[in-house]
Amino acid sequence: MNKIKKILELKNPVSISELDPNFKSEVIAHPDARGLAACFSCGTCSAGCPIHEVFSEYSPKKLAKMVRLGMRKQVLSSPYIWYCATCHNCEQRCPQNVSFFNVLNVLKNMAAKEGYAPSAWVEQTKQVVKTGIVFPTEENWIKKREELSLPSLKEDHPKLKKIIELTGVNKIKPRVDKE
Amino acid sequence: MNKYALFLGCTTPTKVLQYEVASRWVCKYFGIELIDIKDFVCCGMNQVNLSIETGLLMAAMNLALAETRGLNILTLCAACTGALAEAIERLEDKATRDEVNEKLRDIRLEYKGKVKVKHISRVLYEDIGVEKIKREVKRDLSGLRVAPHYGCHYLKPRSAFEEFEKPDNPKTLHELISATGAHPIEYETLGLCCGGKAFPVSEDLAHSLVQKKLDDFMNKEVDAMVLQCQTCYLMYSDQQKKIDEEYSKYNLPILLYPQLLGLALNANPIKELGLGLHRISPDKILAKIT
Repeated sequence: MNKIKKILELKNPVSISELDPNFKSEVIAHPDARGLAACFSCGTCSAGCPIHEVFSEYSPKKLAKMVRLGMRKQVLSSPYIWYCATCHNCEQRCPQNVSFFNVLNVLKNMAAKEGYAPSAWVEQTKQVVKTGIVFPTEENWIKKREELSLPSLKEDHPKLKKIIELTGVNKIKPRVDKE
Repeated sequence: MNKYALFLGCTTPTKVLQYEVASRWVCKYFGIELIDIKDFVCCGMNQVNLSIETGLLMAAMNLALAETRGLNILTLCAACTGALAEAIERLEDKATRDEVNEKLRDIRLEYKGKVKVKHISRVLYEDIGVEKIKREVKRDLSGLRVAPHYGCHYLKPRSAFEEFEKPDNPKTLHELISATGAHPIEYETLGLCCGGKAFPVSEDLAHSLVQKKLDDFMNKEVDAMVLQCQTCYLMYSDQQKKIDEEYSKYNLPILLYPQLLGLALNANPIKELGLGLHRISPDKILAKIT
C-alpha cells in the first residue's frame, strides 16, 4: 500500500491550466518540425541518444511528448534543449522518419526569440559578424600560419555582416538565469 | 586534374593547423589542386541553433562563392561537410532557393544549385582510391593498431551521404587506414559522438562522452586514434589532456587521417604533417614506424 502511495505522489505534476493547447500546432507549422505529428513515442530517439545515455534528464522522447502536451514554457525555458550534440542518431533511427534534430532546432529558435538562448551561441553569432568565423583574430595563430607558410585569413567580412543583419539573428539576447 | 575550392572552416585554420598542413601536403602529393577562396565564411552549422534561416543563408553564401568560380568544395571538418551537404539538399527545392537568393542578391551572389561538397577523406577514397594509395606507400606502418573515428557529420544526415556511406556500419575510413598499412581496430563505441557540439553549453556532458570512448580503448593495445575532423580532434586530444589532469590514465596520441597517410608516404613529420603541434606527443607512434 505504501508503495502504491509513493507512486501516486507525483514529483512534478503537469498542471492543465498552465498548458498551451496551441503550442504543438505552432511548432508543427514550421516545415522543419512537421514530422513531429507522426511521432508515436516509441523512444527509439532517446535509446540511441549519446547525451541521454550520460544524462537521462535529457530525453528527445520526453521533449517530443512535452511539445505535444502543450508544455510551452517548460520546453522553451529548459536548459536541456541546448544539450544536443547534433549526432543525428535520433532522426536516423526514427521509424516514423521524424527528424528530431530539426524539431529541436525549431524549438531552440523559438526559445532564442523568447530570451532563453545560452550566451555561448549568442556570442558566437556576434563573433561571426566580426571575423567571418566563430573565433576572434589572435596574434598567436596569425604568427603560426606565417611560420608554416599557410596563406593569411581574411579578417573582415562585410558581406556576411550584411546577410546576418537581414535575418535579425544578431539582435538575439542571451538568457539571464534568475537566482 | 582534380580541382576543388578548399573550405577550411573556423577551427582548423586557427586551432588545428596541423590538419590543414597535412591535408595540403597530401592533396599536393596526389595532384589534387586546392583553390583558396578568401571570402569563405563559417559554414553556418552553429548559427542554426539560433536561426535555421541564418545557418542556411551562410551555407548558401559559401556554396555561391564556389559556384561562381565553377568549383566543387573540399572540406576538412566533418560538421562543415554535413552543414553544407544539408544546405545543398534544402536548396534543391526551388522555392527555398528563390527565397535564399533574394537575400543573397543584396551581396551580389546567387546559388544556382550546382555545387558538390566532398570531405577530404571522400575525395581520397573516390577520386584517388585505396588501390592507388596502397601502391604509393613508402614506409611500413604495419606495427600500428589505430582506432578509426568517423565524426557524425561525415555520415549524417543519412540522406546527404547514403550513396557513399552507411552511418551504422561505416567502412571508408577503415579502408583508408588499411591502405596505409596500419591496422584499424574494431571497437564497440565506434559510432559514439565526440560531444564537440555540446561542449560550448555543457563541458561536463561532453567530457563524459570523450571519457566513454577513451575507456573503451583501455586494454585494447591501441597506439592512436585516427580522426577526420578537427572538432573531434580537439575533444579527444585537448579535452583528453584536461580529463587526464585528474586521472592520468590515457595518454593516447590522436592523429588526423592525412597525417597517418603522410607518414606512410614518407612526408616530413614536422614540416609537412605538423606533428610537432600535438598536445599529446605522437613520438610513440613514430617509434613504431620503420
